[in-house]
Amino acid sequence: MFSMFMCGLMLLIPLLGVWHMKLGITKNLIVSTLRMVVQLVLIGFFLEYIFKYNNWLINLSWFLVMIASAVLSVIKNSDLKLKHFVLPVLLSFILANFFVVLYFNYFIVNISFILDAKYMIAIGGMILGNSLRSNVIGLGDFYKALRKDEQLYFYKLSLGATKYEALLLFAKKSFVSALNPTIATMATMGIVSLPGMMTGQILGGSVPLVAIKYQIAIMIAILASTVLSISLSILFTVRYSFHKTGTLKKEIFRSSNN
Amino acid sequence: MFEFQHITKQFSEKFVLQDFSFKIAQGDKINIAGRSGIGKTTLFRLLLGFEQPDSGTILYENKALTDTSVWELRKKVAYVSQDLNIGRGNVQALFDETLSLKANFAHNTNSKADIKTYFALFELSEDLLSKDIEELSGGEKQRVAIINALLLKRTIFFLDEITSALDKVLKTKVLDYFLQNPEFTVLYISHDNYIPTGVELKTLKLD
Repeated sequence: MFSMFMCGLMLLIPLLGVWHMKLGITKNLIVSTLRMVVQLVLIGFFLEYIFKYNNWLINLSWFLVMIASAVLSVIKNSDLKLKHFVLPVLLSFILANFFVVLYFNYFIVNISFILDAKYMIAIGGMILGNSLRSNVIGLGDFYKALRKDEQLYFYKLSLGATKYEALLLFAKKSFVSALNPTIATMATMGIVSLPGMMTGQILGGSVPLVAIKYQIAIMIAILASTVLSISLSILFTVRYSFHKTGTLKKEIFRSSNN
Repeated sequence: MFEFQHITKQFSEKFVLQDFSFKIAQGDKINIAGRSGIGKTTLFRLLLGFEQPDSGTILYENKALTDTSVWELRKKVAYVSQDLNIGRGNVQALFDETLSLKANFAHNTNSKADIKTYFALFELSEDLLSKDIEELSGGEKQRVAIINALLLKRTIFFLDEITSALDKVLKTKVLDYFLQNPEFTVLYISHDNYIPTGVELKTLKLD
């Protein structure tokens, strides 16, 4: 209890700073902090029960809820319309993340009950959370670039390219911008940053080398999930995003300006 | 070869084409004229299926152009756009990519020699092949886009102000290359008022 009190006291530093400098975000800061506390406390109780029952159906359903929220967040953070994208992107994320998490649990953690709550929800959450930004960039930039550089896309079509041949150029570019941040993070990992998962494990009493093993595995799993979910979401969404003549449907974007 | 039948096309409130009809026969050399903003480029975009007419029909080889046949047409026409957004990377890579498309794979065999010939013809140094497209001058880019179109070995050309950045001698050379070839069907937009000798030009004036 005392530790939480001291933790709250530390909040005074950003709070007083923001208030004193009149940054105009004091209210946002308080609301966000409160939201974080309430959400985490609720999820804490919730997870207690989930871990206690450890029923595969409940675990599976909760993981689906987590994936669905990630999908909503990815689409909301892009300029794309929810109703056109939610189903194909959801399907891509389910395929990508289930594959990676189950692979992880079976081959790396080596547990026999691969739908175990502790592993599926914890590992799944790490992978989903960490690939979120890349997914926003990957899918959002793909369509943004297509709209901005439509002339180039048309030019490729006029050379005789199929839709997929012409889109390859755009897909490649969005992969590069989506993966670059993760690649940069990996290069400094351990020196600049000790990732949350490792910190948690070490505080929980693990030997650093064990923590490192999982950290390496999780980073690779994040990359795998990112590449899979971006590829699948592009592949699944381009089927609905174009007219039969190959032109991009304008109604898939939320903003109408060109 | 192509026929516009009563085409109407409107962008927001403005009519670009209104009940427009026109026929294009094989071997025709047609200069599309008219002040800027009148919809000259729109004609190309309609033919290539990048825009749809609000009403009217476009015929290609006597059949109405459809969502599917437009893909076939795109394999028969070489289009050089005024917008020189032709790609990234170096010039050789652009040519390679063009020829690696499934539709063009058959023309890949002699491409090295072809590129050499076209570079000499349009007075480009072969050092350019290893240069980035973005580093090229406007005139160089225009000629690279023209060569990229010629590598397709097609006989129908839609040329949208392809000589605007070239000097007079090159302009004549480029236009002659297309207009003097009896095999070629050429629709072109140009403000040069160039009249080649011994070629029957048709003018399509939009107003």
